[in-house]
Amino acid sequence: MNVREDYDLIVVGGGPAGQAACLALQDRLARVAVIDEQSRPGGQILRQPPRAFTVSNWQAGGTYRKLKAQLRAFETLSGVDWLGGRSVLDVRAEGDGWRVLVSDGAQVASLRTRRVLIAAGCYDMTTPLPGWTLPGVMSAGAVQAFVKSQRLTPGRRIALAGSHPLQLLVAEQIIEAGGEVPALAFAQSLQSALVQAARRPMTVLAHAPQLLKVLLGGLRLTASGCRIRFGDRPVEVVGEEQVQALRLASGAQIDCDAVALCFGFLPQSDLVRGMGLNVLQGRFGGWTAVHDPWMRSSRPGVYVAGETTGVKGAEAAGAEGALAGLAIALDEGLITSVEAERRARGPRRRRGRAIRFAELLDAIADPSVFLSQAQPADTILCRCEDVTQGAVDAAVATVETPNAVKLSTRCGMGPCQGRNCEHLLLQRMNSVEKAPQGFRARFPARPVRIGDLTA
Amino acid sequence: MRSVDVLVIGGGLVGCATACRLAGAGASVELIEASYLNAGASGANAGSLHFQIERRFLENGDALADQAAQILSLNRLAIDEWRGLEAELGDSLHVHMRGGLMVAQTPQELALLEAKVARETAGGLPSRLIDGEEARAIAPVLSPSIVAASYLESEGHADPKALTLAFAAEAERQGARLSLGARAVAARRVHDGYEITVETGRTRSSIRASKVLIAAGAWSGRMGELFNLHLPIFPVALLMNVTERAPPLIDQLIQHVGRRLSMKQAYAGNILIGGGWPSRMRLDASGRFDPGQQADLIETSLRGNLAVAVDVAPQVAQLNLIRSWTAVTAVTADQLPLVGEVPQAPGVYVAAGGSAFTLGPTFARLLARQILDEPEDRLRLFSPARFSHLNSFMGMAGA
Repeated sequence: MNVREDYDLIVVGGGPAGQAACLALQDRLARVAVIDEQSRPGGQILRQPPRAFTVSNWQAGGTYRKLKAQLRAFETLSGVDWLGGRSVLDVRAEGDGWRVLVSDGAQVASLRTRRVLIAAGCYDMTTPLPGWTLPGVMSAGAVQAFVKSQRLTPGRRIALAGSHPLQLLVAEQIIEAGGEVPALAFAQSLQSALVQAARRPMTVLAHAPQLLKVLLGGLRLTASGCRIRFGDRPVEVVGEEQVQALRLASGAQIDCDAVALCFGFLPQSDLVRGMGLNVLQGRFGGWTAVHDPWMRSSRPGVYVAGETTGVKGAEAAGAEGALAGLAIALDEGLITSVEAERRARGPRRRRGRAIRFAELLDAIADPSVFLSQAQPADTILCRCEDVTQGAVDAAVATVETPNAVKLSTRCGMGPCQGRNCEHLLLQRMNSVEKAPQGFRARFPARPVRIGDLTA
Repeated sequence: MRSVDVLVIGGGLVGCATACRLAGAGASVELIEASYLNAGASGANAGSLHFQIERRFLENGDALADQAAQILSLNRLAIDEWRGLEAELGDSLHVHMRGGLMVAQTPQELALLEAKVARETAGGLPSRLIDGEEARAIAPVLSPSIVAASYLESEGHADPKALTLAFAAEAERQGARLSLGARAVAARRVHDGYEITVETGRTRSSIRASKVLIAAGAWSGRMGELFNLHLPIFPVALLMNVTERAPPLIDQLIQHVGRRLSMKQAYAGNILIGGGWPSRMRLDASGRFDPGQQADLIETSLRGNLAVAVDVAPQVAQLNLIRSWTAVTAVTADQLPLVGEVPQAPGVYVAAGGSAFTLGPTFARLLARQILDEPEDRLRLFSPARFSHLNSFMGMAGA
């Protein structure tokens, strides 16, 4: 694999946004690298199986057709160094460019680049409830990762609970892969979801085919024996050594050997915050990078695209990636502003459309009905350090900032650096009307073996 | 307008502990903290209890080393202080005094160790020189490259996240008032002491105090300016690294006599690696060092610090680094802490300038006696009087 020490552009993330940026540049920038934690490009939406697997009908269906075409086009670009299976530990200003530390799991390379595009995607928002740290409880995204790439279901009977319509799709994928879905529970009522849809009739009409697909998927699930419940939130995962059942607010107890929770997503923001880019806080915590109409961030030479700027799906991510690619070409003097404007029209239109749909989805998928329920005080909130919600609440009552809570409780001090608990802490602090910032971003963005750094 | 006997500026370890001792002795005390308790170096240091002469005193010539040897009498007091702290403040402090080794890898370093142990023996500190084999018998984690070590049984570590808060809670129990988010912005001399203007959010208030203690760590120099004083205390930004939790691997505090390293395994199992590697401090709008901003990590510091750790304890290479942080502490112009009354501003005391986790509780106990006019000369070595020439044309005495 080709690795230089000096790049014109490093793209962090090989999903739809990163791919689209490279395609928009059309190999006109000489030294470009795309870094991704997966060994193959695709992102979470098109998480590819390992090369050694032979898979027929991978990710079949119209939803994925355009994305697969873009992925194929990206993979044929000759001027891009694909640096898969690597984690970015740090991006730091150096001179008029950036220094990027990259770990491949055995050594740490230090790369220089003049420009950076952060298109690092998102991750499932952690939603604690009693029993959520039992083996077998996972996020819907994790289940998808197993199904899409490894071609297996992480459990035989997987109960789904959440508020996000994505769980309908995940349920279908589990069943297609040979698993069972004994129950699928939406925390919100069907009525409230429909009311949200009714408030946005134009968006509903414009996206009628997608919505119809969701409905048909739901009907197929029901026909296959999966009961879809509405207005029923998860209250406890039951089990001794591992998951045995999911208990719902209605009192229903679903026997299962795995539980997938699906209440929404947060942008990957460790690099963005470590670099000191301007961010905004999301409604449920999490941070979205601020950008101009060309996806330029608040610091020169740094661009942001896809879920990094707010979670809104693959379509918007692709459009933003294309815009970022055009902006980079424009800022490099490779194209004129007239050409950039002309070529940006399509992506802008697609982005606008996709964002309206994402807003509709956000409204339907609102996790508030679950998040507003108080969990028992002994529920673990920070699972790296086993800090309970009660301990965090006691600290929140006496100190003003998330960093002070971190210092006094250890919440956020573990290997995930707060990716899975910071938003929960911020929610607790908001609830007592304080004005929180987040934890200070610290090196490294991912844990790294000390021997790799000293080699 | 509030009136107190003593106003303490700074909610770190020294401030909270001194407030606790003063209140315990019956003084009326208010402590103001611009941010939150334990926010600075007190909470962000790695919790070493080091009573051997520090490496930093050995690398700048004999004169400084001789002077530093005088700190040993205080170190001996500090050992006793630490042995009693958990009984007084509770076992959440995770005081772990299971020994400390300062290691050497070369003949030159061995010579440094010998000279250091001789100074320590003369100063009454029971450290002893051992060979590499004995060092590895005590701490099997040590590499075969370690040729010798100086060993002191009382060294170790404690939890810096807990200590300041424990003192603060005790201070409050004793009647001290703690005001957080309260910043001193002006000071003037009044006939029976000082009047300090304090900004809390958008509101301003005044506090009259017979005496004032500046215990503001890296900000102490700036606080001194409010009293028309030069306090030769300079902020320095240091790097700290922490690994994932590991099974018991290192029972002692491990330092290096010739290279920058301090390493220990904290109670939760994480290994903390530091030793004085610099980070880059940011500047404020006027171009001065800004201790309030997060300092930038320097890659060569990171790799250098970890390399020494791996060199001394090879197993550490197998552990994951989960976080590196930079924190701002302070050093004085001559490296010795600055503790005591400032001659040019009677009633203004300062306590800052390094080693204040290990020595902080002891500074607090002795300084409280000084502030309350009890006979106390054990802090003489650290008196601001040694920098009197800086304040020859400064101060508030004549106001």
